Amino acid sequence: MVKGRAAIAVLGAAAMAVSLAACGSQNSSAKTNDKALTVWFMSGSNPPGWTKDITAAFKKEHPGVKLTVKVQTWDGIQQKITTALSEDSPPDVLEVGNTQTPYYAATGGLMDLTADKASLGGDNWAPSMNASAVYQGKQFAAPWYFASRVVVYNKKIWSAAGITSTPKTQADLIHDLTVIKAHGTKDALYLPGQDWYAFDGFLLDAGANLVTKSGGKYTGNLDTPQATAAINLYKKLNSFGTAPLDKDEATPQQSDVFAKGDVGSFIGLGWEAAGAIAKNPQLKNEVGYFPIPGATAAKTAKVFIGGSNLAISHNSQDPTMAKAFLKLALSDKYEGELAKVGGVVPNKASLDLNLAGNAYGTVAATAALNGGTTPLIPAWGNVENAPNPITTLFMTPVLQGTSPASAAKKADTEMGTRLNQQQ
Amino acid sequence: MAAQFTGTRTRPPGGPAAPQPPESATRRPRGGSSLARGVPYLLILPALVATAALLAYPLLRNLVISFQVLDAFQLIQHTTQWAGFSNYTSELSSSVFWDTTVRSLAFTAVNVALIMALGTAVGLLLNRLGKRMRLLLSLGLVLAWAMPVVAGTTVYQWLFDSQYGVVDWLLSELGMHSMAHYDWFAQQMPTFTVITLMIVWQSVPFVALNLYAGLTTVSAELFEAARMDGAGPWRAFFSVTLPILKPFFLSTTFLEIIWVFKAFTQVYALNGGGPQGSTETLPVYAFIEGVGNQHYGTGAAISTLTIVILLVLMAYYFRIILKQEDEL
Repeated sequence: MVKGRAAIAVLGAAAMAVSLAACGSQNSSAKTNDKALTVWFMSGSNPPGWTKDITAAFKKEHPGVKLTVKVQTWDGIQQKITTALSEDSPPDVLEVGNTQTPYYAATGGLMDLTADKASLGGDNWAPSMNASAVYQGKQFAAPWYFASRVVVYNKKIWSAAGITSTPKTQADLIHDLTVIKAHGTKDALYLPGQDWYAFDGFLLDAGANLVTKSGGKYTGNLDTPQATAAINLYKKLNSFGTAPLDKDEATPQQSDVFAKGDVGSFIGLGWEAAGAIAKNPQLKNEVGYFPIPGATAAKTAKVFIGGSNLAISHNSQDPTMAKAFLKLALSDKYEGELAKVGGVVPNKASLDLNLAGNAYGTVAATAALNGGTTPLIPAWGNVENAPNPITTLFMTPVLQGTSPASAAKKADTEMGTRLNQQQ
Repeated sequence: MAAQFTGTRTRPPGGPAAPQPPESATRRPRGGSSLARGVPYLLILPALVATAALLAYPLLRNLVISFQVLDAFQLIQHTTQWAGFSNYTSELSSSVFWDTTVRSLAFTAVNVALIMALGTAVGLLLNRLGKRMRLLLSLGLVLAWAMPVVAGTTVYQWLFDSQYGVVDWLLSELGMHSMAHYDWFAQQMPTFTVITLMIVWQSVPFVALNLYAGLTTVSAELFEAARMDGAGPWRAFFSVTLPILKPFFLSTTFLEIIWVFKAFTQVYALNGGGPQGSTETLPVYAFIEGVGNQHYGTGAAISTLTIVILLVLMAYYFRIILKQEDEL
């Protein structure tokens, strides 16, 4: 009996070992066979039709290469990209947010594209859009697209409240939202407490930046009258809805909230509006856009210019193919199509024509004329690491009743620490 | 009368029994083939390999990393930058670390006390219930136990949601109108309340079911005798149940200490250690510093310190175990 059991045990162990070994060999053989290219896009960046078209075009140009497109979410993206870039076979091409690009350029994880700039069409890139892709004089990424936040509104709800034209000044906006709310819409404006991109716009409009440099050191700049004015405006606008104070615009996706059809408006991007329409097709003809109004009708409010660059990982297994994909994506055809379908601002002024006919795109392009961004320094990436001090130490506490000055002191200290960390 | 039973120890089957070699192997007469003698070792080999690969190796790596500066830069560049003890000294001299440690210890103490008290009460109840109600209660306990932690967290998030949460709604319907749309996650104590509720809910089944299993091995005559001697329910519990099941209570309490002290998922998933870091316990702090802020060396040092603290907490238990081994 004992012997029999022992034999079975040995057999079992041997079988396990063999099957493990089999697994191993299968994996390694699959990797070496075909040529493969992996591309990472961020959630919301690549419209489905555009992705299909470019995949087909790439396949036609390079029949032997298997193109894999993966979509990542913004939540926790820095850790994901860091890990990916540290690997021996990272994604070949990746989309990196403009505010985070200098951080990755500094880590050495991105390929130096200086020599390829001209062939990628870089001579015609709008200089302001290329700024975040250049680090220490070298080109570490290619500007892909830009987007600015606008007010997305539900025409039906606005007209039901008797509002016939979109607001031209901040005072108009507040008046309109008051009317809509009084008319029984619980969320005249859905503005969650941690949309720091929207807040940065208000801050820029108030005439200040998130950080300031003094004596060669960056520090947080929230303990200022401008930041107080900006957060007070934010608080006022937030009060026109029931959005949570301690969540950002992606939890839950504000487009999903808007898709329910009972939300008057939200501050967002074109793809978010498209997402809402996809979820609730009845909204198709009800969605309108207007730029966030400024203090006077003469100028719209300053906005934070978000955007993305396309980069090639330093360890890419196939830089030639990666560059070929980059070239295709940045070609006038696909860059233009992205602008047309996604309503995003393209990297060349000559392609702006594509925005005509895209309701969001035309409004966003106007708004983008008056925009700004975060400081383009590597250490900025530290600030965006979770938990982000701007949202968790400043915005949410102030919205919950802490005085702006005391919350700002805490946030500024934390931002200062993070901005001056050694890389 | 009860006195004559002292000294008879019943080992509860529910405790974390050490894996024992199969009977046939231990009682085998000497002189069996060498293969047969090796069987027990062969049988524990997979467990050992798994432990080494999944526990010992990461632990060792973690220890090594804790002596390095390992940020995104070093990670991507594959460079090794030794830091000596600087990660440790900077943590040990930081007030945030010590605040978090004290918070973790208090959090563990409160949760373990609640879990043991409630778990024991429910276990005793199981023993007293009729067949049908016992089945119903066991079923509820097993379901709570079987609930995946993250799924459970999501349910609690929704239960306590300030917009749509059923708890706020219920409290306000019951007349506590100030609780309508109350934001549980805006302050430290309310957040801890929800976390504690969830952790206790997830862990009571373990204590209750094991205690019940232990109780079934205690002869009913003991209780009867105690009753005859005039012992009330409290007296019977403290003079009969507790001494007999002492090994069970000890091991379960220490298992719960480990479980609560290292609870990461619940605390992190519920509110990310917020608001403003006020509900960060040591494992969450290690994660936020290490992974969140991409200072993997610092995170490793914090987690190593966490393990050391846990070992200190467990020292008492290890002593008892070692003592018992000596006695055997």
